[in-house]
Amino acid sequence: MKQYQLSTGEKKFIGSHLLVAILSLAVGSLFGPLQAFEHAGWDFYPYLRPWIKSYYQGLTVHGVLNALVWTTFFIMGFLTFNVIFGLKRPLKNPTLNKVGFWLMVVGVVAAAIPILANQATVLFTFYPPLKANWAFYVGLTLVVVGSWVEGWGLFMTFAAWRKENPNVTSPFIAFASVVTALLWQICTLGVAVEILTMLLPWSLGLIEGVDPQLARTYFWFTGHPLVYFWLLPAYLSWYAMLPKQAGNGKMFSDSLARLSFWVFLVLSTPIGIHHQYVDPGVSPAWKFLHSMFTFGVFFPSMMTAFTVVASLEHAGRKNGGKGALAWIGKLNWADPSVAAQLLAGILFFFGGIGGLTNASYNVNLVLHNTAFIPGHFHLTVATAVTLSFMGISYWLLPYLTGRKLWQPKWAVAQSWIWFIGMIIFSNSMHVLGLLGAPRRVPLGLAPYVPAEWNSRLFQVGVGGAILFISGSIYLTIMLMTALNKEKVTEEVEVPIAESMQDVSLTPVWLDRWAPWIYGALGLIVLMYGPVLFEMIKNIALTSPGFRVW
Amino acid sequence: MAKKDKDDEDFRPTGTIAVLAIFVVTLIAIWATIYMILVGRGGTL
Amino acid sequence: MSANKIHIDRYERNWMMFTAVLLVLFATAVSVSAFGMGIQVPAPEQRVDPKTVGTDPNSPWSSPGLREVAPGKYDAYILARAVPTWEYLPKEITIPAGSSVSFYVTSSDVQHGFKIQDTNANFMVLPGQVSKLTIKFDKPGTYNYICTEYCGSGHGIMYGAIIVTP
Ligand code: HEM
Ligand SMILES: [Cu+2]
Ligand SMILES: [Cu+2]
Repeated sequence: MKQYQLSTGEKKFIGSHLLVAILSLAVGSLFGPLQAFEHAGWDFYPYLRPWIKSYYQGLTVHGVLNALVWTTFFIMGFLTFNVIFGLKRPLKNPTLNKVGFWLMVVGVVAAAIPILANQATVLFTFYPPLKANWAFYVGLTLVVVGSWVEGWGLFMTFAAWRKENPNVTSPFIAFASVVTALLWQICTLGVAVEILTMLLPWSLGLIEGVDPQLARTYFWFTGHPLVYFWLLPAYLSWYAMLPKQAGNGKMFSDSLARLSFWVFLVLSTPIGIHHQYVDPGVSPAWKFLHSMFTFGVFFPSMMTAFTVVASLEHAGRKNGGKGALAWIGKLNWADPSVAAQLLAGILFFFGGIGGLTNASYNVNLVLHNTAFIPGHFHLTVATAVTLSFMGISYWLLPYLTGRKLWQPKWAVAQSWIWFIGMIIFSNSMHVLGLLGAPRRVPLGLAPYVPAEWNSRLFQVGVGGAILFISGSIYLTIMLMTALNKEKVTEEVEVPIAESMQDVSLTPVWLDRWAPWIYGALGLIVLMYGPVLFEMIKNIALTSPGFRVW
Repeated sequence: MAKKDKDDEDFRPTGTIAVLAIFVVTLIAIWATIYMILVGRGGTL
Repeated sequence: MSANKIHIDRYERNWMMFTAVLLVLFATAVSVSAFGMGIQVPAPEQRVDPKTVGTDPNSPWSSPGLREVAPGKYDAYILARAVPTWEYLPKEITIPAGSSVSFYVTSSDVQHGFKIQDTNANFMVLPGQVSKLTIKFDKPGTYNYICTEYCGSGHGIMYGAIIVTP
C-alpha cells in the first residue's frame, strides 16, 4: 500500500517552517552554554560586547528564540504536515496558511530588530514596567496572529474533510494536531489582551502607565497552556509514531489518547495562577483553587505516561523483549529518531516530578524563581520537547527533502550526548535552587554566592559544555542532510502506529468538538472570571516604564 | 479496519507497571524531600 | 463510529485510581502545611502609588526600616528599587534571636523579588502592590535577602541582610 503523497509545494511549505525553527535554535542555543559557563565563572561576555551588550541581552535572545520561535515554527510546520497527511487531502486554503506563515516571519524580524539593538532586553516574559521598544510588542503580536491564521487554515481543512467523510473516526494525528492548534487559539488570548490593551499603547506613548499585577495575570493565562502547546506535538509523536518506529508497536489505546488531548484542552488554561502563588495581588483562595485544578492535569499526564509506555512495551515485546524491564533494550535504539525520543521521554519523567512540585501551592515558596525552575524546564521544553523535535526532524527532513540523513550514527550519539549533558546541567540547577540560588542572575559575579554553591556551579558549566557539543552535532547533521547529494531511493515512510483497539469502537463523543470547547471556555470563565473582574475593576495604570538594562 | 492480532489480545502491560512503579517511588521521594524542606523552614504568618 | 462507551484496560484503570489516591495524599499534605502549620503564600495587603510611595511623608516606605510593634514583634518596611541603583532600603536589619518580623515590601519602579535565605519568605515585589509575610528568627546568624526577579542589569547585585544577634 503506497502512502499518501504530499505535493512538492506542500513539502516546501512545511520545510520553510523547519528552516526558520532550526535557524532560531542555532542562534538561541548559542547563549545557553555561555550562560552556563558564566555560572561556572568562565565569563565570555566581555568578548561579545561588540554584538551583545550584556548577559541579559543574550538571555532575552535565548528565551525568545528557543522557547517562542523554535517551538512555534516547528510546531506549526509539524501540525500542518499531520493534518495534510492524516486527512489525506490538501489544505482547504493554502494561501491562508501561507499568509499566516509570513505574518509570523515578519513578526520575528520585527521583534528581533529591537532585541539586537538592545532596546528590548526584557527577557521572554517581558514583565512591565520594563519597557521595550514598541516594535518588540508589534513583532510578538504578529507572531501570535500569524499562528492563529495558520490555525484557521487547519480548522477549515479539518471541517472540509469532515464534510467529505461524515461518519468516520478522524485520523488520530490530524485530530491531535487540530486540538493542539485550538488550545493555542484559546490560550493566546491572554497575551493578546495584555499587549493590545496595555503594552503596545503604552510603548507608543498613548497611555502613561500600566498595571503590573494585571499584566502578569494576563501573561500567565497564556504562559501555562503555552507549555501544553509545546508538549502536545511531542505527545502526538510519542503516542502515534514512536511505537511504530521503536519496533512496529501499536498504540495501546486510541480512545484514551484522544481523551487525554481533550482533557488537556479543557484543563490547561484555567490553572495559570499556579505561576502566581507568591504574587501580592491575588487572593490565596484563588491560588489554592488553581493548585487543586493543576493537580487535575496530572490525570491526563499519567494517562499519557501509561498509554505511551504500554505502546512501547508492545513494540519491545514484538522485538522479542522479555522480563519486566529488559524489553526496553529491545526497542530500536539504533534509529536516531527513536533514541532521541526515548531519551527525551525518560528525562520528562523527572520534568514531570519537578512540575508537580512547583505546582503544589505553598511548596512553591521553596522553589519560586530559584535555579530549580530553569533546571525544571530544561527537562521539559528544552529536552522532552526539543530533543523529541530533533528526533522527529531525523525522519521528517529526509522525508521532505528526499535526501538521506547524514551520518545516522552521529545522530544517535547526539541524542545520548544531549541526555548526559542535560542530566549534569539540570541536576546541578535543581540542587542550586534548593540551596537558595536565584534564577536570571549571572551567578559567577553575584556578591552573595556562598562557597557551598561552587561545586554545583562548576557542574552547570560542564553540563553546558556537553550540551554545546550535542547542539553543534545536531545543527551539522541538519545542514549536511539538507545539502546531502545522496538521495533516498523511495520516499521515506511516515511512521504511523495503528491502534490496538478497532478505531471504529472509539466513542463518538471523542470526535465531537462543541462540548469540549464549551467546557474549556466555561471553566475559564469560572476560574479566571472573578479574578480578572476584580483586577480590571480596580485597575491602576500607575506604573510608568523603565529601561534599566 | 484494524485486524486483531492474537498477540494483541493477550498483551498485558506488566512491564509498563514496572516502569511506572519506579517512577512513582521516585516521585514520592523527591516530592517528600522538598516538602520536608518547606516544613523545616517554618511558618510565614 | 458507533460506540459510545469507552473501553479502558484493567491495568490502566487501576493506574488512574492509584493516581487519584496519590493526588489526595499530596493535597492533604499541602493543606496541612498551609492551613495547619501556617506556611502560607502572600495575600493582597494594600495598593500604593509607586511614583510617590518612596517619597510621600505619609508613606511608611519614605522612611523604610524596622518598627517594634510589641516586645519581640516587628514590622519591617522595605523598599525595593532599581533607580537610582539596584538596592533594598534598608540594606541591613538587626534583630535579637526569637523575634518575629512582618515584612512589608514594595517597589518604586520595576518588578523585583524578595527571598530571605533559609526561610520560607520568597515572594514577588510589584510596583503598586505590597507583599507581606511574617517570619520568626530563632537561630542567630546572617540571613541574606536577595532579589529573585529580573529588574535590569543590576539584578544580580541586589541584596540585603538580616542580622540575628544571640
Ligand atoms: C544548548 C543547551 C542549553 C543550555 C546550556 C542552556 C542554559 C541555560 C541557562 C544556564 C539558563 C539560565 C539563565 C538564568 O537564569 O540566568 C537558561 C535559561 C533558559 N533557557 Fe536554556 N539552555 C539550553 C537550551 C535551551 C533550549 C533548547 C531551550 C528551549 C527550547 C531553552 C530555554 C530556556 C529558557 C526559556 C530560559 C529562561 C530565560 C529567562 O529566564 O528569561 N534553553 N538556559
Ligand atoms: Cu504552569
Ligand atoms: Cu532583581
